[in-house]
Amino acid sequence: MLSYLSKRLAMGLATILIATVAVTLLIHLVPGDPVQIMYAQSQGTTPEQLEEIRARLGLDQPIIVQYVQYLGRLLQGDMGVTIRGQQPVADLLMARLPNTLLLAFSAMAIAVAIGLPAGFWAAYKRGTWVDSAVMMTAIAGVSIPHFWLGLVLMFWFAVDLGWLPVAGGGPLALVLPAMTLGLSNAAIVARMTRSSMIDVMEQDFVRTANAKGLPKAVVQSRHVLRSGLIPVVTMMGLQFTYMMGGAIVVENIFAWNGIGRLAIEAIFQRDYPVIQGFILVFATTVVVVMFLLDLVYALLDPRIRRS
Amino acid sequence: MADIARTAPPETRRKARPLWLRILRNPGGAIGAALVLALVLSALSAPWLAPFDPTKMAAGRPLTAPGAAHLLGTDELGRDVLSRILFGARLTLQIGAIAVGISLVLGLVTGLSAAHFGGWPERILMRATDVLFSFTETLIALAFVAVLGPSLTNAMVAVGVAAVPFYARTAYATALGEVAKPYYEGAIAAGAGHMRLILRHLLPNVLPTMIVVATLGLSNAILAAAALGFLGLGAQPPQPEWGYMLSAGRDFMNRAPWLMLYPGLAIALTVFAFNILGDALREALDPRSEGR
Repeated sequence: MLSYLSKRLAMGLATILIATVAVTLLIHLVPGDPVQIMYAQSQGTTPEQLEEIRARLGLDQPIIVQYVQYLGRLLQGDMGVTIRGQQPVADLLMARLPNTLLLAFSAMAIAVAIGLPAGFWAAYKRGTWVDSAVMMTAIAGVSIPHFWLGLVLMFWFAVDLGWLPVAGGGPLALVLPAMTLGLSNAAIVARMTRSSMIDVMEQDFVRTANAKGLPKAVVQSRHVLRSGLIPVVTMMGLQFTYMMGGAIVVENIFAWNGIGRLAIEAIFQRDYPVIQGFILVFATTVVVVMFLLDLVYALLDPRIRRS
Repeated sequence: MADIARTAPPETRRKARPLWLRILRNPGGAIGAALVLALVLSALSAPWLAPFDPTKMAAGRPLTAPGAAHLLGTDELGRDVLSRILFGARLTLQIGAIAVGISLVLGLVTGLSAAHFGGWPERILMRATDVLFSFTETLIALAFVAVLGPSLTNAMVAVGVAAVPFYARTAYATALGEVAKPYYEGAIAAGAGHMRLILRHLLPNVLPTMIVVATLGLSNAILAAAALGFLGLGAQPPQPEWGYMLSAGRDFMNRAPWLMLYPGLAIALTVFAFNILGDALREALDPRSEGR
């Protein structure tokens, strides 16, 4: 188990390290002069000032030196300051990250609460109209863009019925964004759960359990569900990345104050320090959550736990 | 005599149906194929079908509700929504084809070379793929747009490149199975060169799987590009791109709900069509996966 986990950990650390390289190179891949582009919107910047900014961002140094400097500052929790307002990027991102995580995890809870039972039910009733109905709903569900679902839910619950706030913060304002993201992903969870359960139902040990006359409910709960859940847990990591990706869009629909909304604003304002910080924080969050899920997976699966 | 006629030789009865027939026999495949055909036809004939120029302002009174003059209403600038959606089908198909083309070509090159060469090229290529995979498609696409700037072309490239790790992984996994087969060793023993081995032996055997991946990938690419358009990072006004139309329409949610209804419906139907067609294609190519 330790060798499995340490391999995973090494992979995660490598990913973060490569993200830091990518982020340093990013600003150099911008066609044209990034400093000029960044400050194009603020009027009256003299060439001397631009030169000073270039020096402050370290862009006048060789790229290796820039990278080492960036990494050094990063280790002290310094991600630079925003182009507009000169605020520390790290503070800005850290203040908003909990909102994104709250949204992503609430959505994941909704997706699992709906998708898991639906997928299991469809697998249990395989080949019947229940199965077809669940699968048709699921395929329709994966086809509906979450940004459209978000607008429809907003129109319905906030504008038309007036039950929930259109946007903003607070627990009530979380309901619509979390539902939007959760419902779109419930379909994916249902499909994954169904195919994983069907795989298990065809295994020899399930046939044996049925053959020795165990009650159907016991076979389903003790044998099928327990083994069938293992692949579902592994897929949770992938699910989480969908949630984080989807959150970027959903945050922008509902003006939810997370890092995704910050990132889109930064892309429009060409605020490269914020974009760099966002990429690092996003990649690190995904790596950390994936690793935690690997840990759960290792504990759940006896084949890994005892190795 | 009649008995002989009834017991026709089994091999003619069991002769495999052509692929397209197997797809169409599946209800999902038939519906998907019909929807895709309708989409392609409306994209091709948009200049004749569309009642108005999609970018012409004041084709009707702004925010006219759907009716006889404008079947799907008009937007805030008086542009005809139906015409915009028909022309939007062109953009959508173009986005899907180019993005998936990029993913498919780069993914195949990466996956097939890794499987064929083995050793350190395999390790480097697949490790890099793993790392990119954990960056997630959304982040890669956003980083691309952040560097290149928002535009429709950049969005297509971003969406295409972002999906490469997934295509590379699938191509690699499929090719790995082929490399282990005796015919491949035979070809190597017969002195086939690298290019010949990859193009004549690996590629044809990997292609069926990759076609399924690409069909399902089309829906993914269309959704991702529409999301970028929705965020304002993809297609720019006055392009009639569905995602952008949706985000422009949301400001008029109260007065003109049709502005956010029809573009969303168009995206959902398109994505749905490619999804069920892709599923049917997978079942037709791999009968074991039936009902999965």
